Amino acid sequence: MALGADRYATRGDTFVLVVTVALSLVAMSLQPTTRDPIASSLRRTVLWPFLQLQSRSEQLRTSRAAYTEVEAQRDSATLAVGQLNEIRAENNRLRALLGLGARLGSGFVSAEVLHQAAPTDPLTVVISAGSKRGVQQLAPVVAPEGLLGIVSRTEDGTSVVATWANPEFRASGMASDGSVYGMLAPHDSKGGVWLLEMTGVAYRTHIPFGTRILTSGLGGVLPRGIPIGTVVATKGETEWDRTYLVRPAVAPGSVMHVMVLTAGRSEDLHATFAPDSTKAQP
Amino acid sequence: MRRGDGGRFWVVIALLVGLQFSVRSHLGDQRVAPDFLLLALLTYTIRSRPGQSAAAGFIVGLIGDALTPASFGAGALAHTIVGYLSSWAKAVFFADNLLVNGGLFFAGTWLRNAILVLASGKFSGPQLTWELFVWSPLEGVTTAFAGIVMLVIFRSWLAVRMGES
Repeated sequence: MALGADRYATRGDTFVLVVTVALSLVAMSLQPTTRDPIASSLRRTVLWPFLQLQSRSEQLRTSRAAYTEVEAQRDSATLAVGQLNEIRAENNRLRALLGLGARLGSGFVSAEVLHQAAPTDPLTVVISAGSKRGVQQLAPVVAPEGLLGIVSRTEDGTSVVATWANPEFRASGMASDGSVYGMLAPHDSKGGVWLLEMTGVAYRTHIPFGTRILTSGLGGVLPRGIPIGTVVATKGETEWDRTYLVRPAVAPGSVMHVMVLTAGRSEDLHATFAPDSTKAQP
Repeated sequence: MRRGDGGRFWVVIALLVGLQFSVRSHLGDQRVAPDFLLLALLTYTIRSRPGQSAAAGFIVGLIGDALTPASFGAGALAHTIVGYLSSWAKAVFFADNLLVNGGLFFAGTWLRNAILVLASGKFSGPQLTWELFVWSPLEGVTTAFAGIVMLVIFRSWLAVRMGES
């Protein structure tokens, strides 16, 4: 097999391979407290122009979509001018088009998700908004369908979001009617799809399949009422509690635009999100 | 590489890096879109020594890890090994041929993803199976296709022969 191998890989080549593999293993074993500053400094220096390029590219796509929408709105408005009696209804439709941003009012920052090629990309994603725009650590990151994750680190122009698929993600959740509470964490993926587990649900209570799960607001990190997903199955039960499987509302691998909630919110956000938001597939 | 070709070669590499951060996200599902950064690395390894390729792979992998901190270090390990093996195998076994280079791009992409998901330890069960045998091969196909298109367009700049050497 190693026909001519000695000619093509010298001792120097082998030495470089051993050193770089060793450095890679060292990098893998780093604790987050050491690892994150290194990654952060790379994003702020070497990768900064490339992230700017990616951010501009995403904004260009958004602009094109927005232009199409504006054209549609302009055409609709032109028709409405010709039919004055329908202007009020047209205004209502245009208001509906404003979507989640309008329902949230203020206290959020919109951002593009800068996806990468690595298969582990859905676990942590980089977004195009950072501390300069008011993004803070532990801020909730939402899409129109519901919760994507939590900001785990911020830099001036970008932030890292630990999505719900990240093994370290935890959230306190409740059934949409507020009757049942539990703790949500990523499923161990044995089901073959990205799911969440809702643990600690009291045995005496039962959650029907299809029930929407929202953030409960307990713990003070996530506001109450953000959709997390829909109950799809029972994973198991003990003498004291049951564990349910929840299909998440937001697919981290395909979401392109998000909103970071920047203001401390104490109100229930349930009504802010679309009622069918948890029907999306992960 | 002929004298004077070096500048053109790096223009192609820079073009691939630019495509990674500008066009890739517009090419559909992120799991199967071609990885232009890996393509740049593999293009570099075709004409470099294994040691140089391992070092380049480490740098590319570490940069990628900074953007996907969930698998920090695993990307560097995967790109280092793929860079070294690609350069070594290309020198030992492979003829300078368009389709062979396409096969190299496919195998490199699949192997990179396989090492990454196994080393990161974030996947298991059917999800690992899907990643290894569905998404990674599909990404390998799109990356190989993009690589072949690149070689056809820039064959004179990269000094790649279209037939068996």
